[in-house]
Amino acid sequence: MPAVGLLELGAHAAQVSSVAPERDWNAARDYVATQAKREDLVTFAPAWADPIGRQRFGPDIATIEREGLPDESRFPRAFEVAIRDAHAPVVRGWRRTDERRFGGVTVRTWENPAPAPVIDDLVSAIGPDRLHVSVGDRDCPFVHGSPQSGGLGFGPAVPGDRFTCSGGGFVGVSVVADLDYVARRCIYAPPAGGSLRLRFAGVRFGRSLRGHHALYVEAERTKQGAPVTISFSVGSTAIGSVVHRDGEGWKPFEFDTSLLAGTQEDLTADITSSGDRRMYCFEAATR
Amino acid sequence: MKATLASQAVTALRRGFSGPVGWRDHVVGCAIALAYLAWLLSTAPELGFPRDEGFYFQAATQYAAWWRMLLERGSDALQRGAIDSAWGFNHEHPALMKTLFGISEYLLHQKWHLLSEASTAFRLPGMTFAAAAVWTTYVFGARAWNRRTGLSAAILFALMPRVFFHAHLACFDVPITAMWILCVYVHWRAQAGRSIGWALAVGIVYGLALETKHNAWLIPVALVPHALFVHRRAIARGLAAGRLSLPTSLVSMAIVGPLVFYALWPYLWSDTFARVQWYVEFHLNHEYYNIEFLGKNYFGPPSPKSYLPVMVLATVPAVTLLLFGVGTVDRAIVGLRRLDAWARRLLRRVAGGASRPTATDGDVPPRDPLETDLLLFLSLAVAVGPFFLPATPIFGGTKHWMPAYPILALIAGRGFDIVASAMRAALPRLDARRWAMAEGALWTSVVAAPLAVTAHSFPFGLSAYVPLVGGTAGGADLGLNRQFWGFTSQNAAEEYLNTNAPRGAPVFIHDTTWEAWGRMQQEGRVRGDLRAVGAPGEATMALVQHELHMNEVDYSIWVALGTDAPAYIVEHDGVPIVSVYQRK
Repeated sequence: MPAVGLLELGAHAAQVSSVAPERDWNAARDYVATQAKREDLVTFAPAWADPIGRQRFGPDIATIEREGLPDESRFPRAFEVAIRDAHAPVVRGWRRTDERRFGGVTVRTWENPAPAPVIDDLVSAIGPDRLHVSVGDRDCPFVHGSPQSGGLGFGPAVPGDRFTCSGGGFVGVSVVADLDYVARRCIYAPPAGGSLRLRFAGVRFGRSLRGHHALYVEAERTKQGAPVTISFSVGSTAIGSVVHRDGEGWKPFEFDTSLLAGTQEDLTADITSSGDRRMYCFEAATR
Repeated sequence: MKATLASQAVTALRRGFSGPVGWRDHVVGCAIALAYLAWLLSTAPELGFPRDEGFYFQAATQYAAWWRMLLERGSDALQRGAIDSAWGFNHEHPALMKTLFGISEYLLHQKWHLLSEASTAFRLPGMTFAAAAVWTTYVFGARAWNRRTGLSAAILFALMPRVFFHAHLACFDVPITAMWILCVYVHWRAQAGRSIGWALAVGIVYGLALETKHNAWLIPVALVPHALFVHRRAIARGLAAGRLSLPTSLVSMAIVGPLVFYALWPYLWSDTFARVQWYVEFHLNHEYYNIEFLGKNYFGPPSPKSYLPVMVLATVPAVTLLLFGVGTVDRAIVGLRRLDAWARRLLRRVAGGASRPTATDGDVPPRDPLETDLLLFLSLAVAVGPFFLPATPIFGGTKHWMPAYPILALIAGRGFDIVASAMRAALPRLDARRWAMAEGALWTSVVAAPLAVTAHSFPFGLSAYVPLVGGTAGGADLGLNRQFWGFTSQNAAEEYLNTNAPRGAPVFIHDTTWEAWGRMQQEGRVRGDLRAVGAPGEATMALVQHELHMNEVDYSIWVALGTDAPAYIVEHDGVPIVSVYQRK
């Protein structure tokens, strides 16, 4: 019994004194800053350390694009910044090429065995230059307003830069908590009036159109809402359609665009749903 | 010379405490309780105000004002309008604690200026109940087994990190824990004889428990079968004679308890049936709040059956649990031996032989007329039982089954006594002085870790986990709840906002209530010029108290403030507790 008591005391002392100090994080940050390219992923492990990673590494390295990544497939390389020997699940199956220790912080470099480079990212196309949004025959103008946000249950922040539609609809880039409460940077496009049409101008096509869609976690976790359908087309040619049902979370989809590979066309996305509070968000990119 | 004096002092102390348990033990229990209360009082200012406290502070003020009105203008106060106006607020919980919070604040802070912070005065009754639970645990253990059992039980109970955290609050979870163990203890004493005093005490204490929190509804589930079992022969004899002879304590609990409950809650004085019905239905159909467990956010039924065992393992010091295991095995063996002896006697009786013990029965443990083991088992089982049901919400973390902890500690105390006795048997040649040193070392080895873990956990008692699961970081690795109630805004203010926020900055206070924020400002914990706002978009500074389901608020802040990099993070052992964002 005394041994157990003393063991517990020793374990407590070891645990409270094993926190990675700020200087270790800073050393790791300086290393990653010199190594990471724009197209690389920087991720933190374990997941609960992510706020610390964002604070120590700053928004230039821990960008919202990296933090709210749709999936890992677009990144050729990843820098995994870890404490407590944790691993980020996104690099599972990748090849480790380097590992450096900075005191209590470890930086591992991973190579993606099969990266799928992005040709055109629709999330980056949100703005009046490349996107036209409409509800029925009414256009939704682009505005520079103030973001709208709230506390728990409000839903994703409505970005200041957005297309606003009559009847309360809008389209803009936000960050949504998916069903697992993971950050997803995506095109927030709730079909408030039942439908929304987004026409992206001059999209450069590759062999596929790959994306994900979801609803804000509290809108889909009770599995009581109507499904949301997104359909992609070029001119009168349908590329594909996919339905998101409550409870499916951050759901991937992929359509074959081999026939359009190498071309530049206007791409239309029609979003429809018959339900209320369909706080829908999607991302898609040509590959 | 010093050693001789110490040895003489120990010997004198032992002589003084070698007799039957009595008033001296209450002095000891009171001394431990006062020491605990002093510790709680000294640390209280470090702890911000949880959401619930904000509501209870407000209710307490209203209730105390009504009592003053009653003393000053009795007939006016007894008008239904005056009662409903004062007591209608927060009527989902009974009135005892909020009344005490309010009276304490009025007398000790407003009137007599004994406590400089109103919040400490509001919290004092809760802390006092925590201290009373420690006292009761000591006396119960000392009477049930011996003083070593009582003392170790009291200390091990006090040194549970979650108990220590909740003991600071003007809430009901520790008070109902205190009332639960007091109710069990008084009931236990009442079974010993025909004393009408103890029987009446059971009714009064049970009424006060009912008036403390609705957990008290379950107490009879433990006490009634225990009393019926203790008095089974008398009941059987009565039935044979054609009369129903119930234990007086149960009658008192059934009659006096509800009367006390009714008398102390003026809100029930009108529309009694409808209001009691509403109160019961509110808790039977309580909404579910979000809480993380093993990396998953639970927001409705079914609740995971493993929640309670995992959370107990993760929040109660391992040495306490191990001692509880030793104590449980000991009591189980005793129980099984008694059961075996009873079965043998029964078989002999059936076979026409004598029913009295014989030499073949072996060493039968003495019969306990109070059936203490059964009472403790029932009380523990009833306190934790609902948390194995899929419909029971789990959002309260460990606080909702805290009434089980003094009983867990009592059995752990029994375990400690067995270990100490075994050590004594293993070291028969030690003289008194060396034995005192050896026992002192045993005490130190058992108490040191719970003391260190508990002291270190504060004020992040909801974020901290015990070394068995890796401490606070281990709990985060496992995906266990980080916190709830938004009280850590105070830490964000003390560590960052108070020195770095621009003058008059609007601050998104996230899960903190307006009342809690305002009171933290009134008491100088948060800078008075900082303006609380309810949306990140309206803020220059934004807080997010980290919980899994609060990630959505975190992401909302990224968009609203245009950055995903916190300016500062309040951490506990390297684990994020509160992120502070600043608009670029």
